[in-house]
Amino acid sequence: MVHARRGGIGRYYDVNGWLFVAPALGLIALFMIYPIVWSLWMSFQSGRGMMMKFAGFANIVRLWNDPVFIKALTNTMTYFVVQVPIMILLALVLASLLNNPRLVGRGLIRTAIFLPCVTSLVAYSVLFKGMFALDGIVNSTLEAIGIISSPIPWLTHPFWAKVLVIIAITWRWTGYNMIFYLAALQNIDRSIYEVARIDGVPAWARFTHITIPLLKPVILFTTVISTIGTLQLFDEVYNLTEGKGGPSNATLTLSLYIYNLTFRYMPSFGYAATVSYVIVILVAMLAFLQFFLARERDR
Amino acid sequence: MDIFARAHLPRIAALALASASSLAVTAAEAKEITIWCWDPNFNVAIMKEAGARYTKTHPDVTFNVVDFAKTDVEQKLQTGLASGTADALPDIVLIEDYGAQKYLQSFPGAFAPLSGTVDYSGFAPYKVELMTLDGKVYGMPFDSGVAGMYYRKDYLEAAGFKPEDMQNITWDRFIEIGKQVEAKAGKKMIAIDPSDAGLIRIIMQSAGQWYFNKDGTANIADNAALKASLETVGKIMAADIHKPVAGWSDWAGTFASGDVAAVVTGVWITGTVKAQPDQSGKWGVAPIPALSIDGATHASNLGGSSWYVLESSAEKAEAIDFLNEVYAKDIDFYQTILQDRGAVGSLLAARGGAAYEAADPFFGGEKVWQNFSDWLTKVPAVNYGIFTNEVDAAVIAQLPAIIQGTPVDEALKAIDAEVSTQIQ
Amino acid sequence: MRNNPATIASAVFTYGFVGLMAFLSVFPFIWMVLGATNSSIDIIKGRLMPGEALATNIANFFTLVNVPLVFWNSAKVTIFATVLTLAVSSLAGYGFEIFRSRRRENLYRAMLLTLMIPFAALMIPLFIMMGKMGLINTHIAVVLPTIGSAFIVFYFRQSTKAFPSELRDAAKVDGLKEWQIFLYIYVPVMRSTYAAAFIIVFMTAWNNYLWPLIVLQSNETKTITLVISSLASAYYPDYGVVMVGTFLATLPTLTVFFFMQRQFVQGMLGSVK
Repeated sequence: MVHARRGGIGRYYDVNGWLFVAPALGLIALFMIYPIVWSLWMSFQSGRGMMMKFAGFANIVRLWNDPVFIKALTNTMTYFVVQVPIMILLALVLASLLNNPRLVGRGLIRTAIFLPCVTSLVAYSVLFKGMFALDGIVNSTLEAIGIISSPIPWLTHPFWAKVLVIIAITWRWTGYNMIFYLAALQNIDRSIYEVARIDGVPAWARFTHITIPLLKPVILFTTVISTIGTLQLFDEVYNLTEGKGGPSNATLTLSLYIYNLTFRYMPSFGYAATVSYVIVILVAMLAFLQFFLARERDR
Repeated sequence: MDIFARAHLPRIAALALASASSLAVTAAEAKEITIWCWDPNFNVAIMKEAGARYTKTHPDVTFNVVDFAKTDVEQKLQTGLASGTADALPDIVLIEDYGAQKYLQSFPGAFAPLSGTVDYSGFAPYKVELMTLDGKVYGMPFDSGVAGMYYRKDYLEAAGFKPEDMQNITWDRFIEIGKQVEAKAGKKMIAIDPSDAGLIRIIMQSAGQWYFNKDGTANIADNAALKASLETVGKIMAADIHKPVAGWSDWAGTFASGDVAAVVTGVWITGTVKAQPDQSGKWGVAPIPALSIDGATHASNLGGSSWYVLESSAEKAEAIDFLNEVYAKDIDFYQTILQDRGAVGSLLAARGGAAYEAADPFFGGEKVWQNFSDWLTKVPAVNYGIFTNEVDAAVIAQLPAIIQGTPVDEALKAIDAEVSTQIQ
Repeated sequence: MRNNPATIASAVFTYGFVGLMAFLSVFPFIWMVLGATNSSIDIIKGRLMPGEALATNIANFFTLVNVPLVFWNSAKVTIFATVLTLAVSSLAGYGFEIFRSRRRENLYRAMLLTLMIPFAALMIPLFIMMGKMGLINTHIAVVLPTIGSAFIVFYFRQSTKAFPSELRDAAKVDGLKEWQIFLYIYVPVMRSTYAAAFIIVFMTAWNNYLWPLIVLQSNETKTITLVISSLASAYYPDYGVVMVGTFLATLPTLTVFFFMQRQFVQGMLGSVK
């Protein structure tokens, strides 16, 4: 890397590197940097609607004293800690099962599992609310099997509403993550599995000792993307709770709060920008941690 | 590099096209009024009808009614206003009444005052009040969410009640009737969504109060009407005469499938109630129950919206004239939109028309529209303020505690505390 | 070996698990298809049987919505976005991974940081920018900010880590120029990566909601996603019509997925054989 700049070959190498990355970097710079600088500047302003004035760190002080913000932050972190590991593991298991060429009808099954992330949010929220209603199909099935004795208040109880949101995100995004793994699994030579199988390595060990290490770059990628997705979680909560994050703010996320501060409540563009930088800092820290952990295991 | 050039080609082509088409518009000298609103079967259809009426007498003016979801209209409006880009805004926009003051106060100068042109004395007073700021009136009052109590005559009869027993009752009586209905007809009295403060707002406004005082300051801890509303909802829940629901479709499902005996909400629900032909003749409409405190009435409101003209509009004069000619003067227009769309306008003179006089067989021949328009004149005017959504969220946050028996005074204190950090 | 109990048990487990997952995933879709055949009020009641309202719902959908136009708008936006994003982002992902330099690494990290900012915070400034460029209410404004996708660059870079360096070395010995290596070696070898990215970008662009909502202003430019949203938000939504709309809106992405997934199986294995 260091010698790249020396001599003719190094320069040739470097020029090519810039040519390949220039279009993307140029576009990202143009359409991201200006808005980012603008929103950073806004986060130091406060006021109603367009009547804004410079407020220094007033918005940060407001964060500390805002119970709704604290609630949204706690909820968001809960979703992240519980949901991301479940989903990544589920997607990995599904991808490796569906990668088996002997599995009958795997094309259809793959399409089936991918379906949730293309199903429109509108249909999906109407349906989920119907299925998980007090006298809905989920409760009646669970009661029939005998798992529960009285119906679970999925949508009206603070704890169960959170569980429902986690079910909903996992349902919607597992197939999406699976695609990345399926694509990456093509890069693994199948003969490795055959050799391991003949040596008597059990399926679970093949999964943990071959699949996971070989997919590591893509697992890292999906973990970071899912972290970002979960910390910016908006669509599912917005649609399941009709934009309210209820009951009793139990499902409110940071992004939904930003949305409310911008569009539902008296517009506080400055404070909303401040809350969004909280997300930036959180994701940056978590992503750094994830990259760091992935690097450690390299050795 | 090749890719880059290709990326730009369509853009250049589109720019050329765009400038060509804008030239064409100027050449034709036609005035086009752009309107943003929501609900294709309601507001959009009504505005198209209004536009068609105006174009008959003013052939040079045409209308472009653009249809977005309600929250989408609000997002687009706020983004457009905040960006200060004039061509990003329509000429006329529909705003829900609860949000009117928020827009008027946080984007001063963005909306054109209509006082001076429009004769506001002909409209329901509460509608005019909510769009008035510093002595100027800004909007054209449109549909009303005047509240009523829809009830199933058959269920109540099974419990031993006649339609007369439902007229002008109190909430305590409502709960007693509910217990009888539960015991004798086996049906819940009402559906309640613990994530929605709509019912609380209806009850509160019926006693002439709101979350805010006339001067806009928060009115929570000492608000007798809010306290009584919370107590009422708490009592209904404690009596277990309600069906808990989550969200609009769940709520609408309860009366579509005949699970509840009564629905207390705005007049705009009529279409949904009537969507079940097999329930024809089984429904009645009565005034909403009243609280037992000072200032209590049987009239209230939920929702409703009004039209506003943007100050930056190039067609401002035409837009104002259009609204004034149709919405403030055309009685026949109001008959058409009531008949076709079930829209109850807030122009009081419209009540004299034939459509309002008609008896509705679905409601057993009651003159429901006449009744609603009578109640409309009695809706107490309150200051919807600029923080209704914030307080709503704080109220909803306390509902589970109230259901579990927390004293209402404590809940009010908690609401007050949350509201004071939210109102900035 | 085929018939030993452990193999059978694992087959039962595999089919049972995968089958259950597939069922749970498909169920809402089936419900949506059934919904398209029912009247709005039956949908609210939770009816799970085919109804007779399909023709009415389709007719109402076609009356309320200019179907060819909105689908054409969506298709235009999606195809431009997909092709351009894949081209620009795969070039960059390849470039960052193959030609490493410290300065580009720093820029790469800065680029990843931009992923972390919620879009809601950028919407208003981006809108002002489009206003200054005179692009409001054009499809170009919808596509332009999405082409340089840090997310897809990140994906291509992570996938390029599996690109065998021997292939590059061999190509260089054969005297291929860098762009030729990219075009004739990398692109075909990475077929499965491109297929996955194609599906993801296509789906994101087709379903894109918030940004098109903000920049598109008229009925003539609206995409199918915006139209469905406005249908669903009525005072009393006609859910039958909404279901017809969402079903039709889902078909293109589903078709793309169904055909593209073949690339997963044929992908890189072909080149190894």
